[in-house]
Amino acid sequence: MKAIILAASRGASLDPFTRTRPKPMITVSGRYLLENSIDLLKAAGVTDYQLIVGHQREKIMSFFQQGAEHGVNISYILQEDPHGIGAALAEARNTVLPGEYFLLVYGDILTRGNIFIQTLQSFHSCRAPVAAICLTPSAELYGNVYLDEQMRITRIIEKPQTGGLGNYVLAGVFVLPSQFFEILDRAGNDMEQALALLVKDPGLSASIWEDDWIDMVHPWDILRGNHIIMEPWDAAFISCEAQLRGDVKIEGPVYVAPGVVIESGSVLRGPCYVGPNTYVGNNVLIRKYTSIGRDCVIGYGVELKNCVMFGHSRVGRLSFIGDSVIGEHVNIGSGTMTVNANLEDKTVQVLVGGVLQDSGFKKLGAFIGDHVQIGASNTLPAGLCIEAGEYLPHNTSISLRGGR
Amino acid sequence: MCGISGVAGLTDVSHILLASIKSLEYRGYDSCGMAILAQRRIEIRKDVGTVDEVIQRQRLYEVHGLLGIAHTRWATHGGVTSVNAHPHRSSDGAFAVVHNGIISNYRQLRGELEELGYVFSSETDSEVIPHLLHFYYRREQDVERALQCCLARLEGSYAFALLTTHEPERLYCAKLQSPLILGIGSNQNFIGSDFNAFIAYTRSAVVLDDHEYAVLTNDSYRIINALTSLPIRKNLMHIAWDPEQAQKGGYPHYMLKEVFEQPQTVSKVLAIERGELEKLARSLFDAGRAYFIGAGTTYYAALFGQYQLAELAQLFVPAISSDEFKFGALVDAETLVVAISQSGETYDTLEALRFAREHGAHTAAIVNVQGSSMTRLVDQVIMQGSGPEICVVSTKSALAQMLILTRLALVAGLLRGTLSAVQYDEREAELRLLPAVIQRILNEKSGFINTIARRHCHVNDWLYLGRGIYYAVAMESALKMKEVAYLHAEGMPGGFLKHGTLALIGEGVNTIVFTPPRAQRELHDLSLGSTEEVKARGGYLIGIHFDAEPSLYQDQVQLPEMPAILGPFAQLVVGQLLAYFAATALKRNVDKPRSLAKSVTVA
Repeated sequence: MKAIILAASRGASLDPFTRTRPKPMITVSGRYLLENSIDLLKAAGVTDYQLIVGHQREKIMSFFQQGAEHGVNISYILQEDPHGIGAALAEARNTVLPGEYFLLVYGDILTRGNIFIQTLQSFHSCRAPVAAICLTPSAELYGNVYLDEQMRITRIIEKPQTGGLGNYVLAGVFVLPSQFFEILDRAGNDMEQALALLVKDPGLSASIWEDDWIDMVHPWDILRGNHIIMEPWDAAFISCEAQLRGDVKIEGPVYVAPGVVIESGSVLRGPCYVGPNTYVGNNVLIRKYTSIGRDCVIGYGVELKNCVMFGHSRVGRLSFIGDSVIGEHVNIGSGTMTVNANLEDKTVQVLVGGVLQDSGFKKLGAFIGDHVQIGASNTLPAGLCIEAGEYLPHNTSISLRGGR
Repeated sequence: MCGISGVAGLTDVSHILLASIKSLEYRGYDSCGMAILAQRRIEIRKDVGTVDEVIQRQRLYEVHGLLGIAHTRWATHGGVTSVNAHPHRSSDGAFAVVHNGIISNYRQLRGELEELGYVFSSETDSEVIPHLLHFYYRREQDVERALQCCLARLEGSYAFALLTTHEPERLYCAKLQSPLILGIGSNQNFIGSDFNAFIAYTRSAVVLDDHEYAVLTNDSYRIINALTSLPIRKNLMHIAWDPEQAQKGGYPHYMLKEVFEQPQTVSKVLAIERGELEKLARSLFDAGRAYFIGAGTTYYAALFGQYQLAELAQLFVPAISSDEFKFGALVDAETLVVAISQSGETYDTLEALRFAREHGAHTAAIVNVQGSSMTRLVDQVIMQGSGPEICVVSTKSALAQMLILTRLALVAGLLRGTLSAVQYDEREAELRLLPAVIQRILNEKSGFINTIARRHCHVNDWLYLGRGIYYAVAMESALKMKEVAYLHAEGMPGGFLKHGTLALIGEGVNTIVFTPPRAQRELHDLSLGSTEEVKARGGYLIGIHFDAEPSLYQDQVQLPEMPAILGPFAQLVVGQLLAYFAATALKRNVDKPRSLAKSVTVA
């Protein structure tokens, strides 16, 4: 079976990270979301993919190319103007033969277990269109799926207005027949409507996914995703091509990639990840659930806690970065402090796309886009987002609303 | 639903066939059988019971051959008897057939064949197939053409496999509506109702579509469209997954599957004829003394029945746990003992029934598995028709039993005059809303229940409180929590709390309250009373209730308004889901909890 992977959308709610990359190229525990999905798909026996790409597509295409390095076949379909999921999928209509089924995968989901194997199993046991569904605490964000006693979906309510619903939602993995493209056509390329039509005829069965699942919607979801991947780690891995110079303390499941150099006096508390060729200076403390991407430089005496660094970034000496996400090619000056809680012990608010949103986290630091330069001795307030390419001089006081 | 399988091999296939139907047992397990072709003779062995039992009794491993078919049955047409078990054969013994599905025009076909002098040995619809094959073979002198003619006559649904002495190297199979899959191995080919039939031997498969039939030998297969008689090319499919998973459809566990099947289970119970219940109700009236007995979950179902009969029919039928029956009950010739059992094989309950019979008592049973020991032992049986229940922990079956007892209480109330005909009709009409109510809870509340379960699954001690009939619901829900989540959960009547257990309330003990709907005023207010007692002592409270504006609980599952008679059933479903989600959050072995077995057949 062929998989069609939707990787074209811009995902503005994930700013500051998606201005400069497509959502599926977000890094979690040293790997792109799309890499994770492709590995799982491969394990499920699916090796032919149609990737629908648009926004910042060269990032995807130059990394995966035709898939040979990953042992899969990838071809690309360009979606020039983003017009939603339905329109993106419609671009792939000619790649599915009549009468065939295909796997439809949203490029921005992250699961630890193999959701694809389970969905395919369900498909093979019912030989009908299947949608993977999962439970989330709130239906408001995702919609509510209604089932009958045969596990067929009877109704999909997108973003229900009435409270009091908390239930199964679509998990972004489907097995659909080729005729879905005709349905999509009838629905004017509107995915919601097309699914509603599919539910009526020929029907859509559900496959319940109970393992961890996350759909990247907000910047803090990156931290949650990182947590999901690292949580079950139970063994340390230190590459024989890494150098631990002198007194380096490794506690718990710590992953140290090839080419890493860690100077003496540093402590790494797992689960955590240090990517290829990263340099960790003396007396650095890397705490749980930290993922440092490739080619980073961590200066003397830095403390990192529960944060994700995509790669190619530098953190100057004596800084503290906690509960934060840092893009690529970021330069953080020495003595920079992220504040990761507010004094009132309330949940942290984040300004996303001009709107202040409640993250639901009591501890949350900063979200720093690609190519940001931060001068020395800065204090970054909890929930701060810094747009890609911004420049902060030394000793600046920054307020949450972006003013200085 | 039944499971069929077939193998054509180069070496002896009997052990493969047996392993194959064992893995299909989830499709049905009231009887099974197999047919092996060797030396141009078909040897058939079949009997009632689980695959393991039949293997032992009929010594199935002693039959050897290179070609065989097998079947595990869940009876639909015809009772559970050895004669009705598959395979069925033609009168000359030249054809043997295993069938899954329902031949809807079998009466007509059977009539025609009987006129032609064919003698049927079983009551099944399936037996028409071998006779039809025999009939057409005599005319066509060709097995494949006979099969084509036969298929043209069959209506309804089928997936069947057949062996014939006329072509001792070939297996034939055909499909319409029921599932059928071919497994393609090296030097052996397979037929199965699903992948589980052969996944231990090959992971290459071909799925048959409706109106197709296939001919297999050990090294070849071809698929033909029965309508056009043209051969069909199909792609081989590689199966990448774990075989155990494939049986569950879209569900991660059987338990959840069975919880989701409950609306269907309810409809089955509502279809049980009133006459059957009336018969049992009259036996209750005639008895000088009557008991409901059960063990574990079925004891709580019995308790549920006790409350319903008291309320609706003003009849006192105490519930006693089967294992204590001998010691705590008085039995004489005027006594009626009504046993409740999913499997019909529960040792303690069978013992209690035997004890009752020895003392001359009358016996009755509410049972799920047809043909089980209990159905043969008692004077009167009500089959609950809940379908196979695989998860060790009983969900849909327990709900069905409680509903049967409720209907029994309604009928008894009507006959005794404690309910007017109008009241009876009203209550029955309300029960008909139950499938939709359960479906709604599953669809709209699962998320909340999951969140509560995840938040609290690390709490080791739980109290489940209920009053009146909700006491039975609390007990049963607590048992679910113990069984699947391995958490200490204690059910008790709300009023019982202050007589001792209240001392436990405090940090680290969560209390779940099953609050009745406001319509049941007295029960509702009393329940709130015990809730206040817990709250006053700083206990953590989770309310499962129907109130519009509750303020007492820290966490809650708010259920939609519904007729009072449906309340306990709705809360039972919440209790099931709470236990299920707590168990999955704690990564327990949900379908096979430690130390537990599906039917407890030991003392």
